[in-house]
Amino acid sequence: MKDVIDVMQLQREKGRLRVPPIDYRQSQSHFTATRYIFECGVKLEAQPLTIATAAILYHRFFKEADSSNYDCFLIAATTLYLAGKVEDDQIKIRDVINVTHNTLHRGSAPLELGDEYWNMRDAIVQAELLLMRMLKFEVTCVHPHKYMFHYLKTLEGWFNKADWRKVPLVQASASFLQDFHHDSAILDYKPQHTAIACINLALQVYGVRVPIVDEIEGLEWFSVFCDDLASEKMWEIMEKVMDVYNKEPEED
Amino acid sequence: MDAKLKRYEKIEFLGEGQFATVYKAKDTETDTIVAVKKIKVGSRAEAKDGINRTALREIKLLQELKHPNIIGLRDVFGHKSNVSLVFDFMDTDLEVIIKDNSIVLTPANVKAYILMTLQGLEYLHVNWILHRDLKPNNLLVNSKGILKIGDFGLAKFYGSPNRIYTHQVVTRWYRSPELLFGARMYATGVDMWATGCILAELLLRVPFLPGETDLDQLTRIFQTLGTPTEEMWQGVSQLPAYVQFKMFVGTPLKHIFSAASDDLLDLLEKLLSMNPNKRCTCDAALQMPYFRNKPYPTPGPQLPLPSSIKPRAEEKPNLKRKIFEAAEGALYSKRLIF
Repeated sequence: MKDVIDVMQLQREKGRLRVPPIDYRQSQSHFTATRYIFECGVKLEAQPLTIATAAILYHRFFKEADSSNYDCFLIAATTLYLAGKVEDDQIKIRDVINVTHNTLHRGSAPLELGDEYWNMRDAIVQAELLLMRMLKFEVTCVHPHKYMFHYLKTLEGWFNKADWRKVPLVQASASFLQDFHHDSAILDYKPQHTAIACINLALQVYGVRVPIVDEIEGLEWFSVFCDDLASEKMWEIMEKVMDVYNKEPEED
Repeated sequence: MDAKLKRYEKIEFLGEGQFATVYKAKDTETDTIVAVKKIKVGSRAEAKDGINRTALREIKLLQELKHPNIIGLRDVFGHKSNVSLVFDFMDTDLEVIIKDNSIVLTPANVKAYILMTLQGLEYLHVNWILHRDLKPNNLLVNSKGILKIGDFGLAKFYGSPNRIYTHQVVTRWYRSPELLFGARMYATGVDMWATGCILAELLLRVPFLPGETDLDQLTRIFQTLGTPTEEMWQGVSQLPAYVQFKMFVGTPLKHIFSAASDDLLDLLEKLLSMNPNKRCTCDAALQMPYFRNKPYPTPGPQLPLPSSIKPRAEEKPNLKRKIFEAAEGALYSKRLIF
């Protein structure tokens, strides 16, 4: 069974992590369900863009559907499976079932190939078609990631090397972007705008000024990348990103 | 979703592929004829894997593409555990036209078909999409004589340097030497090679290189076009499935296609270049003298159609046309044998 992800092994490794594992069943919200998508996605060794697609599909689904009618963890598992197909990332349904089940019911043994397994498989397959229909078969996602990459690459050239290396701007921007996927507000903004807001938040957090452009009155560093983003709009997005951290359930 | 089922009234069964059945239907909302491709649920095991990857790929790509020479995806709907794709209705395809012995393909006709193919393909390549399964059967033609590239089940985005692709794509006869040698990094060249094979087939009226096995396919390619050497194609011997072949010198294209014009042979030579890096791109092909020289490509409505397809409604046969046809018939009474 080499081609199946060993969930028990993952669980043993988990013990070494700093963050205590979350009991997802305790707090059912879209925030925890997206967090669940990220945790399962990483365990499934999915590409970061595949996980981002899953999160976006999840939020788009619940924009259309009433959350009291659907099990958000089943939908989350399904979005991971569907995102694998959308992004051409080979994710096997058997792994999705094992990983999502074990993450929700921590410590439990992998599912036997019995009724429970087949029921879950049926549920995912049916939920997948439901998702496709709800999303009107439009499942292509344009992510902020590639924009962010190019913006950062360009910004790097504006800084002198020592200053650029002093602060982890790239990591911080990428983290803000990933965390923003926990909130459906991400659907409301253009990918270019989201990328810029996350970078700007990183600049603010580290108190970094962009050389040259910051000294010119009325000129924003991002105006060369994007001519339809007003400063107010960018601050609005930055606030939405910061809001995500308030939605995180309190640790005991 | 039942509304969608009612919207499309089934007219007749058209065909069956590996993953789907296709019906001709009437879109009652717009009163147009469409093709509905119903993705097969297939065996129980397959249904348990959910929505078919091939179908999803086709939906995803075609939703974003819009070009006169690319099949249009008009609608997608689901019913029970089925997914159906609604396409522009196409009357026939190039395979049928090539095989139909009652059809005469003039040099102008050939130019029209290959021009439309390259224009559609150029649009795909500009959008970073490889078709990967070009063959006459996938070049659809409607009663207005418009050719559209169809069947995107194998199409894929390309260009990312770390993407490893499968080499098991493209129907064997149209498969390029780098694919046959197992290359995992390939690009637009695979579609260009296939286009070259299709152009050759339009001239010969039979498949140009009908290999029976992958090895036989390579043998035929090299017998016809000459065995590549490391000097001609740097890195060929490093390809995963490379095998040393007997040195064939190949036959000049001029001898195989004795009736073809020089400008056409130039194009063919560029499309069938053994080294994928030397094979021409769509853009370069479209810039070649062949497309500027006479005869000019036949306008769509004047392209020949199989007799099984009903005559175009707007052109009611009249005496004038009959005379014209008679004159034309005399002109083409001898089929060109290459």
